[in-house]
Amino acid sequence: MNNAHSLRTAIALIAVMTAWCRFDSAAADADSAKSMFSFNAFGTLGVVHSSEDNADFTSSTFKPNGAGFSHEWSADVDSRVGGQVTANITPRLSAVLQLIAEQNYANSYRPEVEWANIKYEFTPDVSVRVGRIELPLFLVSDSRKVGYANPWVRPPGEVYDVVPITNNDGIDISYRVHMGGLSSTLGAAYGRTYRLDFPAGSIADIQDLHGLFSRTEYGAALFNLSYVAAHISLRPVSALLEDFREFGPAGEAIADRYELEQKLATIVSAGASYDPGKWFATAEWTEFDGHSYLGVDTGWYVSGGYRIAKFTPYLTYSALTVASTSAAGLNAAALPAGEAGTAYALNVGLNELLATRPIQRTVSAGTRWDFAKSFDFKLQFDHTRLGHGSAGTLINVQPGYQSGGTVNLCSAAIDFVF
Amino acid sequence: MADVVVVVSARSPITALSKNQLIDIFLGKVSRYPDGTEAMPVDQVEGSGPRDEFYAKTADKSAAQIKAYWSKIIFTGRGQPPPTVSNSVEMKKWIQKNPAAIGYIDRALVDDTVRVLY
Repeated sequence: MNNAHSLRTAIALIAVMTAWCRFDSAAADADSAKSMFSFNAFGTLGVVHSSEDNADFTSSTFKPNGAGFSHEWSADVDSRVGGQVTANITPRLSAVLQLIAEQNYANSYRPEVEWANIKYEFTPDVSVRVGRIELPLFLVSDSRKVGYANPWVRPPGEVYDVVPITNNDGIDISYRVHMGGLSSTLGAAYGRTYRLDFPAGSIADIQDLHGLFSRTEYGAALFNLSYVAAHISLRPVSALLEDFREFGPAGEAIADRYELEQKLATIVSAGASYDPGKWFATAEWTEFDGHSYLGVDTGWYVSGGYRIAKFTPYLTYSALTVASTSAAGLNAAALPAGEAGTAYALNVGLNELLATRPIQRTVSAGTRWDFAKSFDFKLQFDHTRLGHGSAGTLINVQPGYQSGGTVNLCSAAIDFVF
Repeated sequence: MADVVVVVSARSPITALSKNQLIDIFLGKVSRYPDGTEAMPVDQVEGSGPRDEFYAKTADKSAAQIKAYWSKIIFTGRGQPPPTVSNSVEMKKWIQKNPAAIGYIDRALVDDTVRVLY
């Protein structure tokens, strides 16, 4: 896993930069709030109950279990603690290190490096960052783990779980333009490798990530447009697809078409939000194309809320669909009897794989209560209707599971920031 | 409840700001005044009456909303909130010393060392 290496590199970089620039204590005022280091923390303590006993609901496809089958009430879905150190080394050079402890794919809460990067501002409007950087795919991608910053218990999964990756190891540059009251930030990012070793032995590899981002603000309105392309591989390769390779060029072509080996995956996303103070409305849309058996996922949501004293009740409608695909597969009829049977079985297996796609719609209603300074409490109910034959985004699907039904969730969470 | 006014130093070249320009400066969305000079917003500490009144009047936002906004900015590495002072008296001293500063104080403290914008 890259984390230990990245953490050491980040700390070394920050130490070197700090040694280069001596902290000028003469500049410190009696009332000075401008010291070089600042520390901030955030966290969420949440529990979730799911009505589906034969599968788990989770907030990220990287988590190994959740609420429903594994736990009646799960605290792993939304709970996390994060800490961040920001160093303002010179007026133009800063560094940030953020660590988050949450249930990870190895079912451990070991703190991981979310960000570790150095930022240099050529001007207040042009800056470059190097290291582990946030990947602003969706409207609140970069603050999706900071519960206090968002109205909901968690950002709508139909969009945010399409790609659960939140950071990029590489470089990005951003350029901000002002035109009257309009402020637009354009960014480009490039990342090299990102690798996940799952406990079951499989490896997900993401390489050559290119991203273009645009964020425009005008008063209370915010628009986001982003595009990311990367080469992804999932190993070991699917045994089913490898079996196709026994069937000559036609079989090889099928395996190449559907396997996840250095496949170009692209994601486009557009979002808008309006928050004048007393109420808010936000909507997003995204489309992911895995160019493999992963198919084309389209997710979107609309959400709105109103602020009454310390309460912010909200309502969300979200949907995730996958373009239905089927494969003709091998021409079993043209093969001798013995091989035809195998070919036919492989074709059926392939189509079953293509049909097992997340399709669901959710209506969500909840409220946020800012009961104390730096704290909030949220209560949220989700009613999800799964597509015919689909398990949606549920994991750990058990033999007794009946697809295409409904799932009801009850979530309660307390968020805090320091 | 103190009546809060937005002020700059009497030595500041700034004579007027629109409400949107003012709130953009305090939310860190712009770092310069319309004339191009550097803007240095200063806040009073969280929980103080003048601070809550300032944000309610200019941005129509509650203290929790401002905190949530800055949480988003801090935890995405996009910036830091303005420095804070403990009360209006300290705020006035800070503004007197720094022509680029902009802040808010009790109306009762206004004299000719500061210029009222709102």
